[in-house]
Amino acid sequence: MRYVVKRLLQAIPIVLAIIILNFFLLQLAEGDAVDVLAGEAGSATPEYMAELRAKFGLDKPLPVQLAIYLKNVMVLDLGYSFRHEMPVSELIFDRLFATVLLMTSTILLAVGFGVLLGLVAAMGLNTWRDTAISIFALITYATPLFWVGLMLIVVFSLNLGWFPTSGMENFAMFYEGWDRVKDIAHHLVLPTITLSLFYLALYTRLMRASMLEQAGQDYVTTARAKGVTENRIMFVHVLRNALLPVVTMAGVQVGALIGGSVIVESVFAWPGLGMLAFEALFSRDLNLLLGIFFLSALLVVAVNLVVDIVYSSLDPRIEVD
Amino acid sequence: MNFRTWVGAALCAAGLAAGAGSATAQTAGGTLVYIVQPEPPSLASFLSTSGPIGLVAPKIYDGLFDYDNDLNIVPALAESYEVSDDGKTVTFKLREGVTWHDGAPFTSADVQFTVMEVLKKVHPRGPNSFREVMSIDTPDDYTAVFNLENPAPYMLRALSGYESPIVPKHLLEGQDPRNSDLATNPVGTGAYKFTEWRKGQYVRLDKNENYWKDGLPYLDRIVGRFIPDASTRTAAMENSEVMYGAYGAIPNIDAVRLRDMDGFSVTTDGYSMINPMALIEFNTKESPFDQAAIRQAVSLAIDREFLIENIWFGYGKPATSALSTNFSATGLYKAGLPNYPANADVDAAIKVLEDAGITADGDGVRARAVLDLIPYGEDWRRAGEYMKQALAPIGIELDLRYEDVPTWLKRVYADYDFQINVNYFYQLPDPVLGVHRHYGSDQIRQGTHFVNSSRYSNPELDALLAAGAQEADAAKRSEIYGQIQEILAEDMPVVNLFEMQFLTVYNDKLKDHATSALGAYGPFERVWIEE
Repeated sequence: MRYVVKRLLQAIPIVLAIIILNFFLLQLAEGDAVDVLAGEAGSATPEYMAELRAKFGLDKPLPVQLAIYLKNVMVLDLGYSFRHEMPVSELIFDRLFATVLLMTSTILLAVGFGVLLGLVAAMGLNTWRDTAISIFALITYATPLFWVGLMLIVVFSLNLGWFPTSGMENFAMFYEGWDRVKDIAHHLVLPTITLSLFYLALYTRLMRASMLEQAGQDYVTTARAKGVTENRIMFVHVLRNALLPVVTMAGVQVGALIGGSVIVESVFAWPGLGMLAFEALFSRDLNLLLGIFFLSALLVVAVNLVVDIVYSSLDPRIEVD
Repeated sequence: MNFRTWVGAALCAAGLAAGAGSATAQTAGGTLVYIVQPEPPSLASFLSTSGPIGLVAPKIYDGLFDYDNDLNIVPALAESYEVSDDGKTVTFKLREGVTWHDGAPFTSADVQFTVMEVLKKVHPRGPNSFREVMSIDTPDDYTAVFNLENPAPYMLRALSGYESPIVPKHLLEGQDPRNSDLATNPVGTGAYKFTEWRKGQYVRLDKNENYWKDGLPYLDRIVGRFIPDASTRTAAMENSEVMYGAYGAIPNIDAVRLRDMDGFSVTTDGYSMINPMALIEFNTKESPFDQAAIRQAVSLAIDREFLIENIWFGYGKPATSALSTNFSATGLYKAGLPNYPANADVDAAIKVLEDAGITADGDGVRARAVLDLIPYGEDWRRAGEYMKQALAPIGIELDLRYEDVPTWLKRVYADYDFQINVNYFYQLPDPVLGVHRHYGSDQIRQGTHFVNSSRYSNPELDALLAAGAQEADAAKRSEIYGQIQEILAEDMPVVNLFEMQFLTVYNDKLKDHATSALGAYGPFERVWIEE
């Protein structure tokens, strides 16, 4: 417990530094939100643009803007997106469900199948199973995501008609209750598979390598000498140790969860945070971007902590303080 | 007193009767899902003319007029109008019994408030469209009298629900219209009511049961979907998840493929009020494009037909003047001007340069410049690559620059830090609304986008532009614009490339979606879906 409190206290200066760094980094981009809004509007007078800048607080000197932002973040006020005419927290919250849904289903699928395939490959080292799995992993890892997504749409939506091409719901029907849950699940299939394939390859290769490395360790020889069955060695001793790198990797992926996946969200018109951040960048919606960055930073800090705790339960030799 | 009177009520009644007569053919009900791309920043069409807003807001807000495909005025919130002999008073007779979506009655006070307090003050083009309007009298609830300083014939072309939406006074009065709830929660008099906007997914409008056109709209609901990826938009259209996509939502390369498939069609109708023109802007204050000769040479050396055929898949029409040929309808377009060849004339271009004493150095290069490209998609990038090749033979060596939107806007319109820029402008239904902003000295407005970034200034032309704006007589007006086009064909501060034809791709089950000159920016009240 004391360890957790200590880690959380350490996180405060880190998050602050991230905010400040992000703030100045974003200032490097040419043009501001007013330029974009006025450009889209077709025309606008300089007076109007100056007025907008005053309204957005963009006319103040940078250190003042930063101080105001920091002051608001302290009370968890992420500010206002002038482009969307909505509070940043509301915008992010709106997209959070779709993002978490896509990313958790992806991580579950990728970790689950990745571990399984890695295990199968390692257990049948250099057999046809191992070769087939390795080739599959190599191909999925090397194929661009957007291409996989589009091909899945062409095959499963256009040719077979099994799944919708895009979106999160059927907007001609607006289902309610369980029908809506089923509808969303139906829309979730293709984006999840697309995004999983990439991570699946990573976990498979990681798991296979890790299993092989552990299998050569002294403790395996010892266990075998004691007469422990091969199955027990594999599933109780080796597997548990081999999972450590996979947990690390999954931790990194969960940490990136808030960012979503711009490519998959774009191809499948999935309303996640990745596209929101991407569009915010091009419309210079800095409050919104900073808000997303801030949440990501919090999540990374939290996930790192959780991963460290999971380590210690997987491998009691690792102590957390 | 000789009033030019035009009574719209009769026409309108005829239109309604026609609608009612053929009602057996139309199927009422159903949901239209269509593509809105990109997602609009707000739905405040009284603040911004941004394209995606135009795809949604005119279904919610009406204008005083609508326009048919031949650009004739069709009555909307105004049943009829009269223009006085001297052209300085325009009286609108408004429709009675119209209510806002919240139930409040629509009156002349709304029209007065909208024009004087909103459009004239905060709309990007409103200050220009209504610049002659000094005041609006409201002798009764259903009469609005516009008092003009000078005649403004173009104003009657700018009264659609897209260009000049009429907004509710009771919801905006006493507030800053730039900062009101109406921007994301619109309340109009139109065929559809705003219901819900899920960011990143869709905006949903439901049928207005109290719409002033009896029996309309046919559809129960329209949903505008946001799909960022162009290939996915095409797939969604092919899979009938969406039925309508305009303004290049489906890229031309896919549109021609869908056109050849069963069940889908492509049209270029519905863009005549927008009148888009692809063009090149020059920085006329800096070398090398400060000389008219080199600008003419650029115009002569570019093969307009090649651009249209190979990059825009045949959709477009070579430009032949500063004005689009769509202005032939109003007699303002002048044919037969020099320096606008449909196919490249390299010899003529070189001759112009030689005659002006712009000679080649040892490497055959006469001028070097950076060509900026409008960052609105791959087509423009390819156009830039073509131009780099096309201008090399006449000794103009170009480097290409493609930046993101804010950076590009700032460079061209705020910093003037460019030499030659590819762009496109909407010429709109009258040159005063869409073309003057390119050339007038008063339109050199640093920091304002899509105006005279060339900083071209010619007192003779300024005088003609001013005269053209106020001339009520059609023949005299046509004469003035003829002179304007002659001057611009010589000076060429801007080289028009081609009249763009945007494509609308639609599912064949969708009917009557192109009944307004505004096309996708129209009210959609007659659209229906065949079972």
